[in-house]
Amino acid sequence: MISFQNVRKSFGEREILKGISFDVPEGEILFILGTSGTGKSVLLKNIVGLLKPTSGAIVVDGQDVANMSEEQMFPVRRKCGMVFQHPALFDSLSIFENVAFGLRKHQPELDEEQVRERVARCLNLVQLKGVENKLPQEISYGMQKRASLARTVAVNPRILLFDEPTTGLDPVTTNAINQLIFELSRKLKTTSLVVSHDMHCALAIADRIIVLDKGHIVDQGTPDALKKSSHPLVRDFLKEALSAEGS
Amino acid sequence: MLKVLKNLVDDIGACMMFLRDMIRTGIRTPCTWEAVCVQIWKVTVQSLPTTMMAGFFVGAIMTVQFTMQIKAFGALGYLGGLATSATVREVGPLLIAFLLSGKVGAFTSAELGTMRVTEQIDAIRCLGANPLQEIILPRFLGIVISSFILLAAGLLMSIFGGLILGAFFAGINPEEYIRHIPTIVSKFSIYSGLFKCLVFAMILASVCTYKGYTATGGAKGVGRAVVSTAVMTMVGIVVSDWLTSLLSETTLVLFRGDLF
Repeated sequence: MISFQNVRKSFGEREILKGISFDVPEGEILFILGTSGTGKSVLLKNIVGLLKPTSGAIVVDGQDVANMSEEQMFPVRRKCGMVFQHPALFDSLSIFENVAFGLRKHQPELDEEQVRERVARCLNLVQLKGVENKLPQEISYGMQKRASLARTVAVNPRILLFDEPTTGLDPVTTNAINQLIFELSRKLKTTSLVVSHDMHCALAIADRIIVLDKGHIVDQGTPDALKKSSHPLVRDFLKEALSAEGS
Repeated sequence: MLKVLKNLVDDIGACMMFLRDMIRTGIRTPCTWEAVCVQIWKVTVQSLPTTMMAGFFVGAIMTVQFTMQIKAFGALGYLGGLATSATVREVGPLLIAFLLSGKVGAFTSAELGTMRVTEQIDAIRCLGANPLQEIILPRFLGIVISSFILLAAGLLMSIFGGLILGAFFAGINPEEYIRHIPTIVSKFSIYSGLFKCLVFAMILASVCTYKGYTATGGAKGVGRAVVSTAVMTMVGIVVSDWLTSLLSETTLVLFRGDLF
């Protein structure tokens, strides 16, 4: 479904991704872990063309998107749904209008009643009710994150990309969002890439985990395989996750 | 000094390319008229009271200034025509451009800049939509079209302001004030004013949308974009005013051979 082939990305003199290669089969939940500044978000943004790799190929559903123009990227982006680190809701539109935005754009054949029904279903999916007419700034940060998730899934993407979906959230909301990612991925049968630094959550819901450090993949495997890793960074992440479990 | 000059040239070049992309988008995938009308409404409503008040006082100032100049020649009857001509050709478009630059330019730049740094623009792209079509083009057209509406409102108020001051300050009959407007304000004056209004509005709309759209670096970056918009539009408007004046006068001399 998604394939990274020796992808490099530099900003000026600074190389962020140093020859990354991996594949993501259809339907997999893949977690990409790493400390801040290791290029996790950069990697995700390269998939949807928000950033372009310096070299290498990124194949999404059989198409190399690395050298595509902005216009060529539109159909590829319709297959992908991205949930940003910040909720990135359009602050001049109500929650309803935010969720309906993509629907109105790509499915103009839907009448107002069908749009309303689909929006309600998506908000229900993320357990948000009674906020349709509110502006994003009138609801809590956690609710904004969920609304952002509803907006993304409303257009039925085949690939879901999550950029640190639980950053800045309290533990209860973090668990709820993680559960939501798992359920949505399974229910909607999507391929999901989750960028995070939360090993605890990765161990709980990922099919596979990749650990990035200084622009390189330092280890990868299933949660069970990764628990046996001897790499110091992975051990640090595991220690943190185990202490979180213990507490 | 060289660095400042280089940055300025870079900015102008990037802004022109942005304008080119916007026009290309407008031709291939035009935005909806509904979105443009929303922007026209917003810009017009935001700036109408200020423009009308400023227009009134511009007319009043023109009248006071011209009264002092032409009283000695016994040509007070032409006061309305002279004051209106100056407003139509020069002061009106310039005034509208400066007012819009301060209000709408800064607002648009800050709004788009915030959308950029909070990843709202990236979200539009990720939803498979084109931000140039969805949010930039409607704002650009909204500012340009509103400029003409505001120019008309400002001109009417300036005639009204001149007329009131003409009556009280110079003792001119309002009927006489208005009668001589068509004598001096020629079609060419109107075309010249409209052309200036179009050029200023395009500079303002391109700069504020470009600066907002390309803002980076959080709240500080948005602040920088707003300041940069103010500086670039003011300089751009003044320089283009000189250029359009030169162009207008040259055209006039070449094709008409008279001064009005």
